[in-house]
Amino acid sequence: MSRPIIGVSENIVKIHEVIDHIADTGLNTVICGESGVGKEVVAQTLYQKSSRNGKPFIKVNCAALPDGLLESELFGYEKGAFTGADRKTRGKFELANKGVLMLDEIGDMSLPLQAKLLHVLQGGAFAPLGSEKEFKTDTWVIAATNHELEKDIAEGKFREDLYYRLNIIRIFIQPLRERPEDIPHLIDYYLKEYSLLFNSDNIIQPSDSVIDELTKYPWPGNVRELQNILKRMLVLGDAEKILDEMHRRTGSTSASSDGSTSDTSATGYNGILDFYGKDSPDEPSFSLKTIRKTALDRVEKEVISHVLGKTGWNRSKATKILKISYKTLLYKISDLGIVPPNKTD
Amino acid sequence: MSLIPKLLLIDDNEEILISLKSYLSKRNFDVISASNGLDALKLLEVATHDFDLVITDLVMPNISGVAVTSIIKKQNPDMPVIAITGYGEEPEALAREANADVVMEKPFKLDELENNIKKLLLK
Repeated sequence: MSRPIIGVSENIVKIHEVIDHIADTGLNTVICGESGVGKEVVAQTLYQKSSRNGKPFIKVNCAALPDGLLESELFGYEKGAFTGADRKTRGKFELANKGVLMLDEIGDMSLPLQAKLLHVLQGGAFAPLGSEKEFKTDTWVIAATNHELEKDIAEGKFREDLYYRLNIIRIFIQPLRERPEDIPHLIDYYLKEYSLLFNSDNIIQPSDSVIDELTKYPWPGNVRELQNILKRMLVLGDAEKILDEMHRRTGSTSASSDGSTSDTSATGYNGILDFYGKDSPDEPSFSLKTIRKTALDRVEKEVISHVLGKTGWNRSKATKILKISYKTLLYKISDLGIVPPNKTD
Repeated sequence: MSLIPKLLLIDDNEEILISLKSYLSKRNFDVISASNGLDALKLLEVATHDFDLVITDLVMPNISGVAVTSIIKKQNPDMPVIAITGYGEEPEALAREANADVVMEKPFKLDELENNIKKLLLK
Protein backbone atom coordinates (compact mmCIF):
# COMPACT_ATOMS: atom_id res chain seq x y z
CA MET A 1 0.00 0.00 0.00
CA SER A 2 1.44 3.35 -1.00
CA ARG A 3 1.16 6.54 1.01
CA PRO A 4 -2.23 8.22 1.07
CA ILE A 5 -2.92 11.64 -0.44
CA ILE A 6 -2.77 13.87 2.62
CA GLY A 7 -4.44 17.26 3.04
CA VAL A 8 -7.60 19.20 3.71
CA SER A 9 -7.17 21.97 1.12
CA GLU A 10 -9.76 22.49 -1.61
CA ASN A 11 -7.24 21.19 -4.16
CA ILE A 12 -6.67 17.91 -2.29
CA VAL A 13 -10.38 17.42 -1.53
CA LYS A 14 -11.16 17.86 -5.24
CA ILE A 15 -8.42 15.40 -6.22
CA HIS A 16 -10.01 12.79 -3.93
CA GLU A 17 -13.40 13.44 -5.52
CA VAL A 18 -12.04 13.14 -9.06
CA ILE A 19 -10.24 9.90 -8.18
CA ASP A 20 -13.41 8.43 -6.66
CA HIS A 21 -15.34 9.20 -9.83
CA ILE A 22 -12.86 8.06 -12.47
CA ALA A 23 -10.54 5.44 -10.93
CA ASP A 24 -12.45 2.58 -12.48
CA THR A 25 -12.80 4.04 -15.96
CA GLY A 26 -9.29 3.35 -17.30
CA LEU A 27 -9.42 6.69 -19.15
CA ASN A 28 -6.09 8.27 -20.09
CA THR A 29 -4.97 10.61 -17.35
CA VAL A 30 -2.37 13.33 -16.92
CA ILE A 31 -1.16 14.35 -13.47
CA CYS A 32 0.46 17.80 -13.45
CA GLY A 33 2.36 19.68 -10.79
CA GLU A 34 5.78 20.91 -9.72
CA SER A 35 8.53 18.48 -8.77
CA GLY A 36 7.97 16.90 -5.38
CA VAL A 37 4.21 17.53 -5.05
CA GLY A 38 3.35 13.82 -5.03
CA LYS A 39 2.30 12.91 -8.57
CA GLU A 40 3.24 9.26 -8.13
CA VAL A 41 1.20 9.06 -4.91
CA VAL A 42 -1.85 10.21 -6.91
CA ALA A 43 -1.09 7.68 -9.69
CA GLN A 44 -0.77 4.87 -7.13
CA THR A 45 -4.04 5.89 -5.48
CA LEU A 46 -5.83 5.84 -8.86
CA TYR A 47 -4.45 2.34 -9.47
CA GLN A 48 -5.35 1.05 -6.02
CA LYS A 49 -8.91 2.34 -6.25
CA SER A 50 -9.42 0.77 -9.68
CA SER A 51 -10.33 -2.78 -10.59
CA ARG A 52 -6.77 -3.05 -11.99
CA ASN A 53 -5.39 -3.17 -8.45
CA GLY A 54 -3.25 -6.30 -8.16
CA LYS A 55 -2.37 -6.22 -11.86
CA PRO A 56 0.99 -4.72 -12.90
CA PHE A 57 1.79 -1.09 -12.10
CA ILE A 58 4.82 -0.14 -14.17
CA LYS A 59 6.53 3.22 -14.08
CA VAL A 60 8.81 4.54 -16.81
CA ASN A 61 10.70 7.82 -16.47
CA CYS A 62 10.67 9.30 -19.97
CA ALA A 63 13.41 11.82 -19.06
CA ALA A 64 15.84 9.22 -17.73
CA LEU A 65 16.48 7.29 -20.94
CA PRO A 66 17.82 8.28 -24.37
CA ASP A 67 15.23 8.15 -27.15
CA GLY A 68 16.17 4.80 -28.73
CA LEU A 69 16.40 3.09 -25.38
CA LEU A 70 13.07 4.53 -24.23
CA GLU A 71 11.40 3.22 -27.39
CA SER A 72 12.72 -0.30 -26.83
CA GLU A 73 11.78 -0.05 -23.13
CA LEU A 74 8.20 0.90 -24.00
CA PHE A 75 7.54 -1.40 -26.94
CA GLY A 76 10.13 -4.20 -26.57
CA TYR A 77 12.18 -5.73 -29.35
CA GLU A 78 12.75 -8.91 -31.30
CA LYS A 79 16.03 -10.81 -31.28
CA GLY A 80 18.35 -9.18 -33.83
CA ALA A 81 16.30 -5.96 -34.05
CA PHE A 82 19.50 -3.97 -33.46
CA THR A 83 23.12 -4.58 -32.51
CA GLY A 84 23.16 -6.12 -29.05
CA ALA A 85 19.55 -7.35 -29.18
CA ASP A 86 20.56 -10.95 -28.50
CA ARG A 87 17.16 -12.05 -27.23
CA LYS A 88 13.52 -11.09 -27.55
CA THR A 89 12.51 -8.61 -24.84
CA ARG A 90 9.01 -7.58 -23.84
CA GLY A 91 8.27 -3.87 -23.55
CA LYS A 92 6.56 -2.05 -20.69
CA PHE A 93 3.31 -1.70 -22.67
CA GLU A 94 3.10 -5.47 -22.91
CA LEU A 95 4.19 -6.03 -19.30
CA ALA A 96 1.58 -3.51 -18.07
CA ASN A 97 -1.25 -5.19 -20.01
CA LYS A 98 -4.46 -5.15 -17.90
CA GLY A 99 -2.65 -2.89 -15.44
CA VAL A 100 -1.22 0.63 -15.36
CA LEU A 101 1.70 2.17 -17.22
CA MET A 102 2.83 5.39 -15.57
CA LEU A 103 4.75 7.58 -18.02
CA ASP A 104 6.58 9.99 -15.75
CA GLU A 105 8.07 13.20 -17.20
CA ILE A 106 5.98 12.83 -20.37
CA GLY A 107 6.85 16.44 -21.30
CA ASP A 108 10.42 15.32 -21.93
CA MET A 109 9.49 12.71 -24.53
CA SER A 110 10.82 13.39 -28.05
CA LEU A 111 8.41 14.28 -30.87
CA PRO A 112 9.07 11.05 -32.88
CA LEU A 113 8.33 8.94 -29.81
CA GLN A 114 5.25 11.07 -29.05
CA ALA A 115 3.97 10.08 -32.52
CA LYS A 116 4.47 6.38 -31.70
CA LEU A 117 2.76 6.78 -28.33
CA LEU A 118 -0.17 8.54 -30.03
CA HIS A 119 -0.50 5.60 -32.45
CA VAL A 120 -0.74 3.17 -29.51
CA LEU A 121 -3.26 5.35 -27.68
CA GLN A 122 -5.41 5.73 -30.79
CA GLY A 123 -5.64 2.03 -31.54
CA GLY A 124 -4.35 0.23 -28.49
CA ALA A 125 -1.85 -1.64 -30.68
CA PHE A 126 1.93 -1.55 -30.94
CA ALA A 127 4.72 -3.45 -32.67
CA PRO A 128 7.98 -4.30 -30.89
CA LEU A 129 11.16 -3.10 -32.63
CA GLY A 130 12.06 -5.51 -35.44
CA SER A 131 8.60 -7.06 -35.53
CA GLU A 132 5.97 -6.63 -38.20
CA LYS A 133 3.25 -8.04 -36.00
CA GLU A 134 1.17 -5.63 -33.92
CA PHE A 135 0.02 -6.51 -30.42
CA LYS A 136 -3.17 -5.27 -28.83
CA THR A 137 -2.83 -3.91 -25.34
CA ASP A 138 -5.28 -2.98 -22.61
CA THR A 139 -3.04 -0.69 -20.61
CA TRP A 140 -4.23 2.27 -18.58
CA VAL A 141 -1.82 5.10 -19.34
CA ILE A 142 -1.29 7.60 -16.54
CA ALA A 143 1.16 10.32 -17.56
CA ALA A 144 2.80 12.81 -15.23
CA THR A 145 4.66 16.03 -15.87
CA ASN A 146 5.95 19.19 -14.27
CA HIS A 147 5.83 20.93 -17.67
CA GLU A 148 3.12 23.30 -18.77
CA LEU A 149 2.12 21.17 -21.74
CA GLU A 150 0.05 24.00 -23.27
CA LYS A 151 3.23 26.08 -23.42
CA ASP A 152 5.16 23.13 -24.87
CA ILE A 153 2.49 22.82 -27.60
CA ALA A 154 2.83 26.53 -28.45
CA GLU A 155 6.61 26.06 -28.71
CA GLY A 156 6.24 22.99 -30.92
CA LYS A 157 7.70 20.63 -28.31
CA PHE A 158 4.56 18.63 -27.60
CA ARG A 159 1.96 17.24 -30.03
CA GLU A 160 -1.47 18.81 -29.65
CA ASP A 161 -3.27 15.62 -30.69
CA LEU A 162 -1.37 13.61 -28.06
CA TYR A 163 -2.20 16.29 -25.47
CA TYR A 164 -5.95 15.87 -26.06
CA ARG A 165 -5.60 12.08 -26.17
CA LEU A 166 -3.90 12.06 -22.75
CA ASN A 167 -5.94 14.86 -21.14
CA ILE A 168 -9.18 12.92 -20.87
CA ILE A 169 -8.65 13.29 -17.14
CA ARG A 170 -6.33 16.00 -15.83
CA ILE A 171 -5.34 16.15 -12.20
CA PHE A 172 -3.41 19.23 -11.10
CA ILE A 173 -1.64 19.13 -7.74
CA GLN A 174 -1.01 22.61 -6.39
CA PRO A 175 2.44 23.46 -5.01
CA LEU A 176 2.62 23.22 -1.23
CA ARG A 177 3.05 27.00 -0.80
CA GLU A 178 -0.45 27.48 -2.27
CA ARG A 179 -2.07 25.09 0.21
CA PRO A 180 -0.37 25.76 3.57
CA GLU A 181 -3.35 24.31 5.45
CA ASP A 182 -2.12 20.86 4.34
CA ILE A 183 1.33 21.27 5.90
CA PRO A 184 0.45 20.40 9.55
CA HIS A 185 -1.34 17.26 8.34
CA LEU A 186 1.66 16.24 6.23
CA ILE A 187 4.02 16.90 9.16
CA ASP A 188 1.87 14.82 11.47
CA TYR A 189 1.76 11.92 9.00
CA TYR A 190 5.46 11.86 8.20
CA LEU A 191 6.57 12.32 11.83
CA LYS A 192 4.61 9.19 12.72
CA GLU A 193 6.02 7.30 9.72
CA TYR A 194 9.64 8.30 10.37
CA SER A 195 9.39 7.69 14.13
CA LEU A 196 8.46 4.08 13.33
CA LEU A 197 11.11 3.86 10.61
CA PHE A 198 13.98 5.09 12.77
CA ASN A 199 12.65 3.04 15.69
CA SER A 200 14.38 5.13 18.34
CA ASP A 201 13.24 6.40 21.72
CA ASN A 202 15.67 9.30 21.44
CA ILE A 203 13.72 11.02 18.67
CA ILE A 204 12.94 14.63 19.53
CA GLN A 205 9.58 15.70 18.13
CA PRO A 206 9.53 19.26 16.73
CA SER A 207 7.83 21.75 19.06
CA ASP A 208 4.61 23.58 18.20
CA SER A 209 6.57 26.72 17.34
CA VAL A 210 8.77 24.72 14.93
CA ILE A 211 5.68 23.25 13.28
CA ASP A 212 4.27 26.77 13.00
CA GLU A 213 7.48 27.94 11.31
CA LEU A 214 7.38 24.97 8.92
CA THR A 215 3.81 25.84 7.98
CA LYS A 216 4.84 29.37 7.02
CA TYR A 217 7.79 28.23 4.89
CA PRO A 218 7.26 28.34 1.06
CA TRP A 219 8.62 24.82 0.33
CA PRO A 220 10.05 25.27 -3.18
CA GLY A 221 10.84 21.53 -3.24
CA ASN A 222 7.27 20.74 -2.08
CA VAL A 223 6.40 17.56 -0.14
CA ARG A 224 9.71 15.90 -1.01
CA GLU A 225 11.61 18.78 0.62
CA LEU A 226 9.33 18.64 3.66
CA GLN A 227 10.07 14.91 4.01
CA ASN A 228 13.83 15.55 3.88
CA ILE A 229 13.66 18.36 6.44
CA LEU A 230 11.57 16.27 8.84
CA LYS A 231 14.02 13.36 8.55
CA ARG A 232 16.92 15.71 9.31
CA MET A 233 15.09 17.18 12.28
CA LEU A 234 14.34 13.75 13.71
CA VAL A 235 17.83 12.38 13.20
CA LEU A 236 19.86 15.45 14.14
CA GLY A 237 17.36 16.90 16.60
CA ASP A 238 18.53 20.46 15.91
CA ALA A 239 15.31 21.94 14.56
CA GLU A 240 16.21 25.56 15.31
CA LYS A 241 19.46 25.36 13.35
CA ILE A 242 17.73 23.71 10.38
CA LEU A 243 15.01 26.40 10.47
CA ASP A 244 17.68 29.11 10.51
CA GLU A 245 19.29 27.63 7.39
CA MET A 246 15.91 27.40 5.67
CA HIS A 247 14.96 30.99 6.46
CA ARG A 248 18.32 32.32 5.33
CA ARG A 249 17.68 30.72 1.98
CA THR A 250 14.10 31.96 1.85
CA GLY A 251 15.35 35.49 2.32
CA SER A 252 17.64 35.11 -0.66
CA THR A 253 15.10 33.46 -2.95
CA SER A 254 12.26 35.85 -2.10
CA ALA A 255 14.40 38.62 -3.56
CA SER A 256 13.97 37.19 -7.07
CA SER A 257 12.28 39.54 -9.51
CA ASP A 258 9.16 37.48 -10.12
CA GLY A 259 8.91 36.20 -6.56
CA SER A 260 9.15 32.63 -7.74
CA THR A 261 11.36 29.87 -6.44
CA SER A 262 12.81 27.04 -8.42
CA ASP A 263 13.93 23.48 -7.88
CA THR A 264 17.57 24.49 -8.24
CA SER A 265 17.23 26.91 -5.37
CA ALA A 266 15.62 24.13 -3.36
CA THR A 267 18.88 22.23 -3.22
CA GLY A 268 20.42 25.12 -1.35
CA TYR A 269 18.13 24.74 1.64
CA ASN A 270 20.03 21.75 2.82
CA GLY A 271 23.36 23.31 1.88
CA ILE A 272 26.28 23.47 4.24
CA LEU A 273 27.72 26.73 2.97
CA ASP A 274 26.36 30.22 3.51
CA PHE A 275 26.95 31.92 0.16
CA TYR A 276 25.03 34.96 1.32
CA GLY A 277 27.04 35.32 4.54
CA LYS A 278 30.51 34.36 5.62
CA ASP A 279 31.08 32.00 2.66
CA SER A 280 30.21 34.65 0.10
CA PRO A 281 32.45 34.90 -2.99
CA ASP A 282 32.64 38.63 -2.16
CA GLU A 283 34.64 37.88 1.01
CA PRO A 284 38.43 38.52 0.63
CA SER A 285 39.19 35.06 2.08
CA PHE A 286 37.05 33.30 -0.57
CA SER A 287 38.80 30.64 -2.65
CA LEU A 288 37.90 27.12 -3.72
CA LYS A 289 40.55 25.75 -1.35
CA THR A 290 39.22 27.60 1.71
CA ILE A 291 35.64 26.73 0.81
CA ARG A 292 36.55 23.05 0.47
CA LYS A 293 38.16 23.13 3.94
CA THR A 294 35.15 24.97 5.42
CA ALA A 295 32.68 22.53 3.88
CA LEU A 296 34.69 19.50 4.95
CA ASP A 297 35.04 20.81 8.52
CA ARG A 298 31.31 21.42 8.81
CA VAL A 299 30.39 17.99 7.46
CA GLU A 300 32.92 16.30 9.76
CA LYS A 301 31.69 18.30 12.74
CA GLU A 302 28.08 17.40 12.05
CA VAL A 303 28.82 13.70 11.53
CA ILE A 304 31.11 13.34 14.55
CA SER A 305 28.70 15.30 16.79
CA HIS A 306 25.85 13.09 15.65
CA VAL A 307 27.76 9.84 16.30
CA LEU A 308 28.99 11.08 19.71
CA GLY A 309 25.40 12.01 20.57
CA LYS A 310 24.18 8.57 19.55
CA THR A 311 26.86 6.81 21.64
CA GLY A 312 26.31 9.06 24.68
CA TRP A 313 29.80 10.50 24.12
CA ASN A 314 31.40 7.08 24.42
CA ARG A 315 34.52 7.86 22.38
CA SER A 316 35.63 4.21 21.95
CA LYS A 317 32.27 3.28 20.42
CA ALA A 318 32.36 6.40 18.26
CA THR A 319 35.80 5.54 16.83
CA LYS A 320 34.51 2.10 15.81
CA ILE A 321 31.48 3.60 14.03
CA LEU A 322 33.53 6.35 12.38
CA LYS A 323 36.39 3.93 11.60
CA ILE A 324 39.07 6.37 12.80
CA SER A 325 41.71 6.04 15.54
CA TYR A 326 41.08 7.23 19.10
CA LYS A 327 43.86 9.79 18.69
CA THR A 328 42.30 11.18 15.49
CA LEU A 329 38.90 11.45 17.19
CA LEU A 330 40.35 13.43 20.10
CA TYR A 331 42.15 15.72 17.65
CA LYS A 332 38.95 16.28 15.63
CA ILE A 333 36.90 17.02 18.77
CA SER A 334 39.43 19.65 19.77
CA ASP A 335 40.11 21.07 16.30
CA LEU A 336 36.45 21.31 15.26
CA GLY A 337 35.33 22.66 18.63
CA ILE A 338 32.88 19.81 19.35
CA VAL A 339 31.57 19.97 22.92
CA PRO A 340 29.19 17.68 24.81
CA PRO A 341 25.57 18.92 24.87
CA ASN A 342 25.66 19.87 28.60
CA LYS A 343 28.67 22.13 27.98
CA THR A 344 27.06 24.24 25.28
CA ASP A 345 25.79 27.74 26.04
CA MET B 1 -39.59 11.14 -21.12
CA SER B 2 -41.23 13.89 -19.09
CA LEU B 3 -43.53 16.46 -20.65
CA ILE B 4 -40.84 19.10 -20.54
CA PRO B 5 -37.56 17.40 -21.53
CA LYS B 6 -34.84 17.82 -18.92
CA LEU B 7 -31.36 18.57 -20.24
CA LEU B 8 -28.00 18.54 -18.46
CA LEU B 9 -25.77 21.23 -19.94
CA ILE B 10 -22.03 21.14 -19.12
CA ASP B 11 -19.52 23.86 -20.07
CA ASP B 12 -16.69 25.51 -18.18
CA ASN B 13 -17.22 28.75 -20.11
CA GLU B 14 -19.75 30.71 -18.07
CA GLU B 15 -20.86 32.93 -20.96
CA ILE B 16 -21.63 29.96 -23.20
CA LEU B 17 -23.38 28.18 -20.34
CA ILE B 18 -25.63 31.19 -19.64
CA SER B 19 -26.47 31.90 -23.28
CA LEU B 20 -27.22 28.24 -24.15
CA LYS B 21 -29.28 27.81 -20.99
CA SER B 22 -31.24 30.97 -21.75
CA TYR B 23 -31.93 29.93 -25.36
CA LEU B 24 -32.94 26.35 -24.54
CA SER B 25 -35.13 27.41 -21.60
CA LYS B 26 -37.08 29.68 -23.94
CA ARG B 27 -37.54 26.70 -26.29
CA ASN B 28 -39.37 24.85 -23.56
CA PHE B 29 -36.56 22.69 -22.21
CA ASP B 30 -35.84 22.29 -18.50
CA VAL B 31 -32.09 22.99 -18.35
CA ILE B 32 -29.85 22.10 -15.42
CA SER B 33 -26.29 23.36 -15.81
CA ALA B 34 -22.88 22.31 -14.50
CA SER B 35 -19.66 24.24 -14.97
CA ASN B 36 -17.34 21.22 -14.86
CA GLY B 37 -17.26 17.48 -15.43
CA LEU B 38 -17.07 16.58 -11.75
CA ASP B 39 -20.23 18.51 -10.83
CA ALA B 40 -21.99 16.96 -13.82
CA LEU B 41 -21.08 13.42 -12.70
CA LYS B 42 -22.31 14.24 -9.19
CA LEU B 43 -25.65 15.42 -10.59
CA LEU B 44 -25.95 12.30 -12.73
CA GLU B 45 -25.05 10.13 -9.75
CA VAL B 46 -28.05 11.27 -7.73
CA ALA B 47 -30.52 11.60 -10.59
CA THR B 48 -29.40 9.82 -13.77
CA HIS B 49 -32.94 8.98 -14.82
CA ASP B 50 -34.15 12.53 -14.30
CA PHE B 51 -32.29 13.66 -17.39
CA ASP B 52 -33.43 13.07 -20.95
CA LEU B 53 -30.30 14.30 -22.70
CA VAL B 54 -26.80 15.62 -21.96
CA ILE B 55 -24.98 18.40 -23.81
CA THR B 56 -21.31 18.66 -22.93
CA ASP B 57 -18.34 20.74 -23.88
CA LEU B 58 -15.35 18.48 -24.58
CA VAL B 59 -12.26 20.34 -23.43
CA MET B 60 -12.62 21.09 -19.72
CA PRO B 61 -10.20 20.87 -16.78
CA ASN B 62 -10.15 17.83 -14.46
CA ILE B 63 -12.82 15.60 -15.98
CA SER B 64 -13.17 16.40 -19.68
CA GLY B 65 -16.37 16.12 -21.73
CA VAL B 66 -14.86 13.04 -23.39
CA ALA B 67 -14.60 11.43 -19.95
CA VAL B 68 -18.15 12.50 -19.02
CA THR B 69 -19.48 11.05 -22.30
CA SER B 70 -17.56 7.81 -21.85
CA ILE B 71 -18.77 7.36 -18.26
CA ILE B 72 -22.42 8.17 -19.15
CA LYS B 73 -22.42 5.78 -22.11
CA LYS B 74 -20.94 2.93 -20.04
CA GLN B 75 -23.52 3.38 -17.27
CA ASN B 76 -26.50 4.30 -19.40
CA PRO B 77 -25.96 3.59 -23.13
CA ASP B 78 -29.41 4.94 -24.04
CA MET B 79 -28.77 8.42 -22.67
CA PRO B 80 -28.37 10.75 -25.69
CA VAL B 81 -25.21 12.87 -25.58
CA ILE B 82 -24.37 15.89 -27.72
CA ALA B 83 -20.69 16.88 -27.58
CA ILE B 84 -19.65 20.41 -28.52
CA THR B 85 -16.10 21.56 -29.15
CA GLY B 86 -14.02 24.29 -30.68
CA TYR B 87 -10.68 22.51 -30.53
CA GLY B 88 -10.48 20.69 -33.86
CA GLU B 89 -10.27 17.11 -35.02
CA GLU B 90 -8.73 15.19 -32.12
CA PRO B 91 -11.35 16.08 -29.46
CA GLU B 92 -14.07 15.32 -32.05
CA ALA B 93 -12.52 11.91 -32.78
CA LEU B 94 -12.29 11.23 -29.04
CA ALA B 95 -15.97 12.15 -28.56
CA ARG B 96 -17.00 9.75 -31.33
CA GLU B 97 -14.88 6.99 -29.80
CA ALA B 98 -16.67 7.69 -26.49
CA ASN B 99 -19.95 7.12 -28.38
CA ALA B 100 -21.33 10.66 -28.35
CA ASP B 101 -24.49 10.64 -30.48
CA VAL B 102 -23.80 13.99 -32.13
CA VAL B 103 -20.58 16.02 -32.24
CA MET B 104 -21.00 19.72 -33.01
CA GLU B 105 -18.17 22.08 -33.84
CA LYS B 106 -18.28 25.63 -32.45
CA PRO B 107 -19.49 28.03 -33.66
CA PHE B 108 -22.85 26.47 -34.52
CA LYS B 109 -26.32 27.86 -35.06
CA LEU B 110 -28.57 27.58 -32.02
CA ASP B 111 -31.46 26.21 -34.07
CA GLU B 112 -29.10 23.49 -35.31
CA LEU B 113 -28.50 22.47 -31.69
CA GLU B 114 -32.24 22.57 -31.04
CA ASN B 115 -32.89 20.33 -34.06
CA ASN B 116 -30.29 17.82 -32.91
CA ILE B 117 -31.85 17.74 -29.42
CA LYS B 118 -35.33 17.12 -30.86
CA LYS B 119 -34.09 14.40 -33.22
CA LEU B 120 -32.33 12.54 -30.41
CA LEU B 121 -35.30 12.86 -28.05
CA LEU B 122 -37.59 11.36 -30.67
CA LYS B 123 -35.39 8.27 -31.12
